[in-house]
Amino acid sequence: MALKGRHWVMIWLLAFLAAAGSVVARQTAALRIARALSQTRDTLSSLRSRRAEYERRLRQASSRSVLVPRAQALGLRLPADSEIVILPVPDTSAP
Amino acid sequence: MAKLNTRVSFIEGSLGVLLLALLVRSAQVQLFQGARWATEAKQSRTEHVVLEAPRGALLDRHGTPIALTQETYHVGIAPNELRDPDHDPETIARVLHLPLMHVEDELGRHYAYFSGPFTASTVQGLRDLRGVHLEPVLNRFYPSPEFARAIIGRAGEGGQKPSGLERTLDTLLAGTPGAAVVLKDRAGRQYDSPSRRIQSPVPGNDVVLTLDAELQEIAQRSLRLALEKMDADGGDVVMLDPATGEVLAVASERRDGGIRPSAFIDAYEPGSVAKIFTAGALIADRRIRLTDRVSGENGKFKMQDRTLVDEHPLPTLNLADAIRVSSNIAMAKFVTRLDHSSEYEMLRDFGLGTPTGIEFPAEASGRLALPKDWSRPTPTSLAIGYEVSVTPLQIAAAYGAIANDGVLLEPTLVREVRAPNGEILYRHQPEPVRRVVSPEVARELRQLLAGVVSSTGTGASAALATFTLAAKTGTSRQVVNGHYKAGAYNASFAALFPAEHPQLVVVVKVENPRKGGYFAAETAAPVTRAMLEQALASRTVALDRARLSAAAPAPGVGELEEDPGVAPYVVSWPPPHDTAAPAPPRPIPDVSGRTLRDAVRLLHRRGFHVVIKGWGNVEKTWPAAGAEAAAGSLVTVFGDTPQ
Repeated sequence: MALKGRHWVMIWLLAFLAAAGSVVARQTAALRIARALSQTRDTLSSLRSRRAEYERRLRQASSRSVLVPRAQALGLRLPADSEIVILPVPDTSAP
Repeated sequence: MAKLNTRVSFIEGSLGVLLLALLVRSAQVQLFQGARWATEAKQSRTEHVVLEAPRGALLDRHGTPIALTQETYHVGIAPNELRDPDHDPETIARVLHLPLMHVEDELGRHYAYFSGPFTASTVQGLRDLRGVHLEPVLNRFYPSPEFARAIIGRAGEGGQKPSGLERTLDTLLAGTPGAAVVLKDRAGRQYDSPSRRIQSPVPGNDVVLTLDAELQEIAQRSLRLALEKMDADGGDVVMLDPATGEVLAVASERRDGGIRPSAFIDAYEPGSVAKIFTAGALIADRRIRLTDRVSGENGKFKMQDRTLVDEHPLPTLNLADAIRVSSNIAMAKFVTRLDHSSEYEMLRDFGLGTPTGIEFPAEASGRLALPKDWSRPTPTSLAIGYEVSVTPLQIAAAYGAIANDGVLLEPTLVREVRAPNGEILYRHQPEPVRRVVSPEVARELRQLLAGVVSSTGTGASAALATFTLAAKTGTSRQVVNGHYKAGAYNASFAALFPAEHPQLVVVVKVENPRKGGYFAAETAAPVTRAMLEQALASRTVALDRARLSAAAPAPGVGELEEDPGVAPYVVSWPPPHDTAAPAPPRPIPDVSGRTLRDAVRLLHRRGFHVVIKGWGNVEKTWPAAGAEAAAGSLVTVFGDTPQ
């Protein structure tokens, strides 16, 4: 059966609707992904910021200005050079 | 009927004219004005934004971050867009750690703006609040703000110029900004859609400094405590590696709270610390034998222009004695054997009166007058460290030459420059300036300096029980407004550690100490000893402990045996890995066929940075699997579904 003119109109209309629907779907998906990407970036930025803050606190907590007074309060002290023993390394380069 | 036809023709004609007019206008708009209208439409619906490039990091020699770039935010709030105007101000104040009153006042305006800057973790709680607009801005972050503050400086923010190393290294650290186009609606609001990048920002290079974070902290803390204890006006510490010229620590402290790199920019008369340079000229020119002796004049020697006094008088002195007890009288007598040009050239060759060339925006050259400008007492003054001004850095570099078998090296603060992909663009190599003295003369000078730290020398208070030290004390009068200030002194101490095969040059300067004496032996020397003890006890300080172990006595001898209550502190060997040292290249694993997530995880574990192109499973990598690349290199992973 040969397609009549109105059938062709119908086919073209459906094709147009399908194309338009696919554009809308793709755009919707793109926007959703963009939003997710943006949220991921925000999370990454937030995590980096927290890491930097922890790093700062770690450096502060492990600094001599904090550790030495605490160690001294516990009765500890820095060793004198005579109390430091450097173990000589055996020469392993010889055949 | 004819009338009807006329009317129809008229309507047709009118429609035809209208159609023609429409066509003409369309042609005008499209063909002749098309570019203008297109531009206007683009401008009203798109916006070009500059993408700021992250500034490169500053790291210490072991990779400890000193300065980083962090994304922070300014917060803007449109009060009319808030969903809950009664409770939102409270949330905003709580999240931003601001007083509620202040937030409410700001929200009374058309648009509230809190410049902060606030960190990403701080503003996280505001992201879902309607009416809150976050404006990202890159900010410089210093994990230890006081770490070598005067040397590191600050990156120029808020229109200020960068200072310190941030300024010197600005062209390396600052990347290239990128550009992007964002879509916006008719009201000018940006759509929540990805921007179209015209040019990606290129991050700045990372710079690995020569500073050793642990040694720097030791220097800063020791100096601060010493200045407080001695009630001194200020002071400096410079530590450098004589074999490479790398500056390991620079501390400058002022009691008035001022922050300036005085170790580089404040020149002063060094006093007896400079005697060793004249001794170098005497030995190098063979104007003296080490057995030659001169009279000590009972500690008081009247010259034509002045009277010289020795603090530690001896009946007779040779050159070793003159250096050991820092005799002004003996040096004044010995220097008469030198002609002016020899004395001048030796001081000049050690770098006095010339900037060292360190990578810093400002450096004082000090002062060393040409022989033609000398007065009669100048040769004697120079021999005992007066009429010449130097910075602590110059003294450190000059003593470094003595330690380095007579070769003066250019001091440096930059160890490496790394591209964002981890590629090493520059690595410091020792840069010899000149040979000042022969290795034999340098060795003799080190022996003279070792005598200073003996039990009868002026630097005995710096002596270590186990390791040898070569050093020189110097106490000089302080010059204020061109005149010597009564009762004000600069105490300096320059040391080579250990005396044989030195690994460290330490220069300590204390300005105007008021408590506990003003001589260097009582002030700067004990500070040096304290710093060296701490450096030895530290596991991470850049000392070659293998060589030190050869110099130190074997464990289990000496004082340890006599004191059963003392537990020996055993330093681990080999030392912790120097992360700034070049890592050997490693093969890139074959990740083809894996999911992107797996591939990235594996490459990260192998120490590579990763960039992803495309989606799906991994098709290939660049560089290809099997090729070798340095740790930290960038590996691009291509998905089988192109972007």
